[in-house]
Amino acid sequence: MKPGRLAWWLVIWVVGLFYLIPMLSMTRFAFQRIPVIKLSFNNVFSKWTIEPLLTTFSDSGFRSSAMLSIWLAIATAVLTLLLLVPTMTIAHLRSPRMRRVIEISAVLPFVVPAIALVVGFAGAFRDTIPQLIRSPFGMVPLYVITALPFTHRTLENGLASLDLRTLIDASRSLGASWIRTVLFVIVPNMRASIATASFLALTVVLGEFTIASLLLKNTLPLYLAYAQGQNPQGSFAVGLVLVVLSAGFVTAANRFGKRVVS
Amino acid sequence: MVEAVTGQYRASFIYSLELSAVSAAIGLFIGSLVAIAIVRLENVRVLRSLVVGYSSVAANMGGIPLAFAFLSAFGMQGLATRLLREINIDLIGWGFRITDFWGIVLVYLYFQIPLMTLILVPAIDGLRRTWHEVAQSLGATANQYWRFVALPILTPALLGGFLLLIANAFAAYATAFALSSGGSRLVPVQIRFFLQGETITGKTNLGYAMAAWMVLLTLVLVIGFQTLVRRSERWRQ
Repeated sequence: MKPGRLAWWLVIWVVGLFYLIPMLSMTRFAFQRIPVIKLSFNNVFSKWTIEPLLTTFSDSGFRSSAMLSIWLAIATAVLTLLLLVPTMTIAHLRSPRMRRVIEISAVLPFVVPAIALVVGFAGAFRDTIPQLIRSPFGMVPLYVITALPFTHRTLENGLASLDLRTLIDASRSLGASWIRTVLFVIVPNMRASIATASFLALTVVLGEFTIASLLLKNTLPLYLAYAQGQNPQGSFAVGLVLVVLSAGFVTAANRFGKRVVS
Repeated sequence: MVEAVTGQYRASFIYSLELSAVSAAIGLFIGSLVAIAIVRLENVRVLRSLVVGYSSVAANMGGIPLAFAFLSAFGMQGLATRLLREINIDLIGWGFRITDFWGIVLVYLYFQIPLMTLILVPAIDGLRRTWHEVAQSLGATANQYWRFVALPILTPALLGGFLLLIANAFAAYATAFALSSGGSRLVPVQIRFFLQGETITGKTNLGYAMAAWMVLLTLVLVIGFQTLVRRSERWRQ
């Protein structure tokens, strides 16, 4: 092997280890009942247990926050699709200028940090529509906005790969209404990018901490942050589940995303 | 608005920006190395999909689980801390704390490096094979090719990536919060402190002002990013 190649392999290995070690440590801490000080080569494989995870799963606080997070994630995915699919379809058909406006506003969440977004949100609605701040589902619009850069991009790719005009003309000339056209012609043709966008929205919501933390809503990441003190093993175990879950979502999104392009 | 960038609050902004810049600079360097390594070792098929796949997972990571992972690895009783001590590298003895400046930089690198890799891989793919051949036929060594041909072409992408990484770290909140259990000097954590007024109330305005400054700073960064990306795309038609 040439020395140059060896150096590049070294880069890959070092960075790979850097990626791997924290995850391995978290796994070990969550599922092995031996303090690090007492760990040695003799007992690396003993006392592994999934009990911390099971105990946490049966905790009522965990259950309520997990359910909340799951419902928020689903609501966000649904609202994103309801909002974006019709709007972007119309923009594609009728006006390229509107497309440009949508695109710019979709990147805006990159510019406005989540913390600033939620501060503005609270400031605007605290006195006008207090229900929006009191109910946890008032956060759904914020989550939709936070996920917008990712979801918009994938839906945009999906729409761009369709021959929208022909599809719609065909459907309309056969007597379908607009709603029917969107539901039975556009949506099935975009199913790959719709799936990708939903996966990305789920990932964003399940991991989101900033917004829920400032609005004092007890979502899963908040539960983790506060359970860390009393039940470190359990909360680390759940944290790991969260990592695996969002890794699965992102990978699934990548898979579907490739199908969109081809 | 003015008070939010004076005195201790200015220190807070400077701390945040320094942290972002340092983690972005290191992320830029290592992330680029990884991107080049993938391209150089392209005959190993799985490597590319493995690294790019994991990078897209890790770049989206952050938040609470990431803080947990690093606490269990590089915390006082961390596995990596322990392993390093076995080979006589005593991190804690050197004054390294995962909640300190360099500790947070280390944690942020976990999403900064893969983000840079993801930005740079398409840019390197955009380098045309013919340019390499031309350089070679004119007698350039591999190093000369990278130094005088590839680097200038990649510069806009590198700079743009750098700015995006800074903005990315600047906005990160959850990880810092969980690492320091809410006591960090970072701007986002400070904003929360003012808005929820655990001790001082009546200073919520300051929170709003700091948030406004954050938007302003990030806006400048992103506009810079857009301009540079547009320039870097001029090379690929």
